[in-house]
Amino acid sequence: MLVGDLMDRDLTSLGEDATLMEAIEVLSRHRIPGLPIVDAEGRVVGFLSEKDIVRAALPGYIDLLEDPSYVPDMGQFKVRMKRASMDSVGRHMTKEVVCLSTNDSDFHAALIMIKKNLKRAPVVKEGILVGVVNRADIIEHLMSE
Amino acid sequence: MDKTIVTVTMNPAVDIQYVVPDFRPGRWFRASEVDRSAGGKGINVSIILQQLGYESAAMGFLAGFSGEYIRDTLRRLKLTTNFVNVIGESRTDVYIVDEVGHIETGVAEAGPYISDEALHRFMKNFDRILSRARLVYLGGSLPPGVPQDAYKDLILRCKEAKVPVFVDAFGPALTAALEGVPRVVKFDHRFLFSTLGYPMGDLDDVLELVSKIHDSGVEWSVTTYRAVGNIFYTPEGIYLVDIEREEKEQMVSLLAIGDALMAGLMVALLENMDVEKAIRFAQACSLEDTLHVKKGIRGRDMVESLMPKILVEKLD
Repeated sequence: MLVGDLMDRDLTSLGEDATLMEAIEVLSRHRIPGLPIVDAEGRVVGFLSEKDIVRAALPGYIDLLEDPSYVPDMGQFKVRMKRASMDSVGRHMTKEVVCLSTNDSDFHAALIMIKKNLKRAPVVKEGILVGVVNRADIIEHLMSE
Repeated sequence: MDKTIVTVTMNPAVDIQYVVPDFRPGRWFRASEVDRSAGGKGINVSIILQQLGYESAAMGFLAGFSGEYIRDTLRRLKLTTNFVNVIGESRTDVYIVDEVGHIETGVAEAGPYISDEALHRFMKNFDRILSRARLVYLGGSLPPGVPQDAYKDLILRCKEAKVPVFVDAFGPALTAALEGVPRVVKFDHRFLFSTLGYPMGDLDDVLELVSKIHDSGVEWSVTTYRAVGNIFYTPEGIYLVDIEREEKEQMVSLLAIGDALMAGLMVALLENMDVEKAIRFAQACSLEDTLHVKKGIRGRDMVESLMPKILVEKLD
């Protein structure tokens, strides 16, 4: 089966100029772990995950530390999160996005998602967002065969 | 990339149809049949367009459990969606179909409140998808919080992008939409008479009203005439459209018949059918939808087989 046949044709996305606050609201209301960031024509230019948002509220050196006990307490985290919430999505999104094509096979999609440890990947046609594939979509598809 | 049809449903609903033979108010009944579906005019149009072989993207607002049901239903139908989720609960509309008395009773909810932020997000999504739209359909009521001139605003955006617009609305939302001059408008003339303060009149009054809309620049207008017939005001004249009597006797449900008509008219105009064929095709879509409880049509071939049953009279 092709990705175009199994994808969720949902275009929920935000522009680069949206704030992190807006992104948090969209992720929460739509109950999704991440969303594609698109330009004015719907071309995928990035991807913002929950992890990217959390990272925005953590000190810059946190990536260098392996022990999470160095993470500041929740109070400090909250202050930093509030400060970051008015930042643009474009500042914190992942710019090197792994996109699938509607013509990719289900096997290719599964391999990419496992290899890159992705929960959700945008699907594009000629660069334009046309849907998303979730891990659950692939598992549901495999189980229904 | 191919351009798509965009349908806007600002106030989607879960439509529940209960078939209750000999329904009367004030009694307790057990439904003999139940049909639950994702609804709201634009969503209905998207579903029927798919049944006619056309892809579309459905937009609007969703909220709560009903919103999740609608989104999940559309996902399973493999329809493209771009809804803004908001706090609250999307509507549930209940229809009681009485097969014995041939009467349909309906109860509709108001829908969730739409904040300025949510409306702003919707407009951004709309502008984005407009760059690859071939046609836009706006239909149904506006939920609380959405300004009454929202359709006019959307029509003007479409005009700037040179995308034709179909509108099916009523009340102040319709009168505001008419100021934007869409390409096609469908309305129930009783609503328009009440909105504009005209006295409810005979066919001549309806024609005068429709002529005024046409003179403002609207190319096509469709208004209800009698129970299931329509008046089509087209670039080539005015047509009175009705259905053969024996087909009328087969009708089961009137739910979404206007949406089937609009979906049919969109397909007809996209396929450049001549005016009379376009009318027959659109009205046949509507007729096919009435012949069963389940909302929508059973296929394009079924629609085409009903086209000879449509009575079309061109008025002088």
